Amino acid sequence: MDWDLLRQCLAAHGPSLLSLLRCEQNETLPFRSLLGDVSRGPPGRKEKRVDNIEIQQFIARKADLLFSVSWKPTTAATSEAREETEDLYAIMPPLEQFMEVPVRDKRELFFRDLERGDVVIGRISSIREFGFFIVLVCLGSGIVRDVALLEITALCPLRDVPSHGSHGDPLSYYQIGDLIQAAVKDIDRYHEKVTVSLHSAALPSHLSSLKLGVISSEDLPVHYKQSAAVASSNSQIYEKTLEQSLGFANPSTVEFLLGKLGISESDPPSLMRGLQRTHFNDEDYASTLRKKQSASWALKCVKSGVDHFKMGRHVEAMNEYNRALEIDAKNVEALVARGALYATNGSLNKAIDDFEVALENCQTHRNARKYLCQTLVVRGGQLEEEDKLLNAESYYKKALTVDETFQEAEDALVKLRQRIQKSLEKREKQAERQAEKEDKQKQKRVETSAEKLRKLLKEEKRLRKKRRRSTSSSSASSESTSNVSHSSSSSSSSSSSSSSSSSSSSSSGHKKHKKRRRTYSESSTHSMKRSSNVSSHQKDYNSNDGWYPPPANTSASFLNQKKEMEKLLERQDRLVCQKAAVEQKVRSRSSSSVEILETTGGRSEESKGSYNSSKTWASGSRKASDVRAERLVSCRRDSTGSSNTKSGEKQMRDDKELEEGKGHGASESSHEKHIPFLTERYKHVQYTEPYASSKKKTHPGGCEFIPNEYPRKDHRDSEGRSRENLNAEDLEEQIPHNQKGYGETSVKKNLPQNLLNIFSQIAEFEKLKGNKQKNK
Amino acid sequence: MESGGSWVSELKKHEEEQENTETATREMRTHFKITRFIMEAGVKLGMQSVPIATACMVYHRFFRETSLEAYDPYLVAMSAIYLAGKVEEQHLRTRDIINVSHRYLHPGSETLELDSHFWELRDSIVQCELLMLRLLNFQVSFQHPHKYLLHYLLSMKHWMNRHSWERTPVAAAAWALLRDSYHGTLCLQHKVQHVAIAVLYLALQCYGVEVPAQAAGERPWWQVFSEDLTEQIILDIVSELIQLYALDTEIS
Repeated sequence: MDWDLLRQCLAAHGPSLLSLLRCEQNETLPFRSLLGDVSRGPPGRKEKRVDNIEIQQFIARKADLLFSVSWKPTTAATSEAREETEDLYAIMPPLEQFMEVPVRDKRELFFRDLERGDVVIGRISSIREFGFFIVLVCLGSGIVRDVALLEITALCPLRDVPSHGSHGDPLSYYQIGDLIQAAVKDIDRYHEKVTVSLHSAALPSHLSSLKLGVISSEDLPVHYKQSAAVASSNSQIYEKTLEQSLGFANPSTVEFLLGKLGISESDPPSLMRGLQRTHFNDEDYASTLRKKQSASWALKCVKSGVDHFKMGRHVEAMNEYNRALEIDAKNVEALVARGALYATNGSLNKAIDDFEVALENCQTHRNARKYLCQTLVVRGGQLEEEDKLLNAESYYKKALTVDETFQEAEDALVKLRQRIQKSLEKREKQAERQAEKEDKQKQKRVETSAEKLRKLLKEEKRLRKKRRRSTSSSSASSESTSNVSHSSSSSSSSSSSSSSSSSSSSSSGHKKHKKRRRTYSESSTHSMKRSSNVSSHQKDYNSNDGWYPPPANTSASFLNQKKEMEKLLERQDRLVCQKAAVEQKVRSRSSSSVEILETTGGRSEESKGSYNSSKTWASGSRKASDVRAERLVSCRRDSTGSSNTKSGEKQMRDDKELEEGKGHGASESSHEKHIPFLTERYKHVQYTEPYASSKKKTHPGGCEFIPNEYPRKDHRDSEGRSRENLNAEDLEEQIPHNQKGYGETSVKKNLPQNLLNIFSQIAEFEKLKGNKQKNK
Repeated sequence: MESGGSWVSELKKHEEEQENTETATREMRTHFKITRFIMEAGVKLGMQSVPIATACMVYHRFFRETSLEAYDPYLVAMSAIYLAGKVEEQHLRTRDIINVSHRYLHPGSETLELDSHFWELRDSIVQCELLMLRLLNFQVSFQHPHKYLLHYLLSMKHWMNRHSWERTPVAAAAWALLRDSYHGTLCLQHKVQHVAIAVLYLALQCYGVEVPAQAAGERPWWQVFSEDLTEQIILDIVSELIQLYALDTEIS
């Protein structure tokens, strides 16, 4: 209760209010003691006004509210640092100007209310050696008063004038008539004398940035300008000035002024008993109710989601959970349920995330904790199987931090540590053993590789001879280059095949592999395709690099399992190589397929992955044989076809175009650069195969061919053109070419039956051709 | 006979009058209750003072046009809140309005489920809003005393001694009085400036604050703010306002 305020009120209203208060507020305890206290000293009341009993009664009734401390304005120290923007509210001239208060009263009130630190603005009226005098024009801060006509002079002594530079006399800087903004330093209320200062130290802290000294007339405060305008036009009245001002029309003026006056809108005052804040329950507020409602709505969704889940409809369940989380983003039940669903679907990391968020929001949620621990341990187990032992360890540790008493995690951790220890020892041993092995292998390989190299060189020689012959036969040089491109590709494939057949498993072997390729590319004839060849080789190598384990001597750890996989693949590799020469491409394919599988990786999936890849191997090798056959056919055609050199030229150009286009395509397509022309056919075979031979299983690696389609689509046009150009070619070739066009496009639609027949015929035909070639 | 007849008719007239005043006071009480509901819901919805005032105005205007029997006053109040939120650019969601109102009318009850019943409630609010708009000829933007009062307060603040101003919560009291005044039809009967001034007058009186140089000036402060205002009008408004507070104690 604010006693001072009550005394002030009692002083104004006199004893009648006191008696009314006694009547009305007798029950309220704090008043009783006060009323007794006040009645002792009779309040000196000015007998000015007629008592208004009704108002006094009202005051008496509401006294406990009116004089409660909580109503006190809280904005005592709001920085009113001259943010007098006209747009925010109507800045009005001083009230007394409209009330037409006599000068004497104004003066008296001015000296009563002026305080040290207030900012005054005045004009210099005279300059003396001890300082200068200003006549006040208006007030800059603190209070807003109409002082222009009061002729109040203030002294600014010399010591309060800051010196400017090296000038001897700081006063020389000022002239009579200058507008000066200064801070009040001292007030003699009795003699009505004011001393001002130009040092900013005289300013209160919240105004310290204000500039003191000479100002221009534009810097005068808005209220002064307004009051000058009102004074000049006598007819102006407050109401009109208010309503005409821009700030008054601002819709946010209420909000701004409430802040300025220190009235709270979030907890608005009221004198109605029923509207007191204490009567309101926090639970009845809109935000609380909404939260509650959303929570229950979300819970409903979770329930139906759980039902779906129990029935095995995982997608519907997930939808419900997601909806629940949309409604209430931090719904713990929904998070736990979704986490459980993720966990059962194998996305353990997502599950862990959900459980963690759930635990953050509700630390005591038992299920969230339990599930999180279990999932962490399972994930740790997965990582362990993948030989990421350190990661696995961190997961187990996390599980233990979530729940210290979780036995499974502890057991797993102990086991894991033992395993790490073992594997470290093992690795040391292995490293020794491997070193020995490698020595042996190296010796072995040197033999075989030397043999291969010899073969390779032989072949190349043969080719070079051929080419020389062709150039000498005055055919177009372009043809020869095209030949070279084919030959180089063939040689590259053969070289790779040889290398792979010899390569066993170790990474050191792979290193050699690379070396050999380099030697090959160096020794290969300087063809236009060469650079691209090399680059593609490198790419090839790089992509392989991603999959092969790093050399044993680096810090790579725990990759035993992968090595095993590799061995398995390599074995397969060898099998294939016996069958077909073009192995490189297939291998790269299979590796990519393995990579795809790896991303889905789980411990169970790994074995499945190898199984899958072996399947692809099978299908891939079959195709490879086709390709090889085709390539040979085309080689023959190109080399023999001196009659259709022109068409060959064009075709070559088209091939180049295609090649360039493919550069943008998926990384896989880079492998096909070696045999630009053949890729066409290769794909063709791929597409038709599933339809042509229905007895064959659809190959599991089918998905891997999809990326190939992209570059193809882009260059459909150029292909079309190339096909037109091929008109000059012999009939034998023409038929499959044309059919190919249909085949590709119609594969995307559902194939008509008659086309299917044609395709099967073509496939058989091609196969036959391949076989013939082989036999030869 | 004649005299008897006149006596009877006079009695009847008297009864009628009494009945009329009775129904008037009854209606006034109902309106007081409903506007109390609007204000309480407004606070719980986090509405600002001006939208709440608009809601009350819409409500009062609506029942000035029609009778209380024709429509459910609570539904009208809810729609008024919704409409006021739109008019005063403080958009409220019907869901919140329904939640808060349901809680007000059924204290301690569970929160509503978002089922068909809820959507029916929502539809009725929206339809009632349309009805109100048509009945009020789509004139739903009002002048409120709030802006005036705040500017008066600011002018007053500068004229008063700053320490006495800081000591006395005149601004808060005036604001409270103004908000409370919407329990009745004060703002429909008087000029907004007059209401604002009357509220300020009462607030100053409550704390025994005198405007400096009140007697010395040519013009009293209230006349500065509004030229056509007399002290009698102020006292009338104040008296009406105080009667509203009497209703408050009566009802609770």
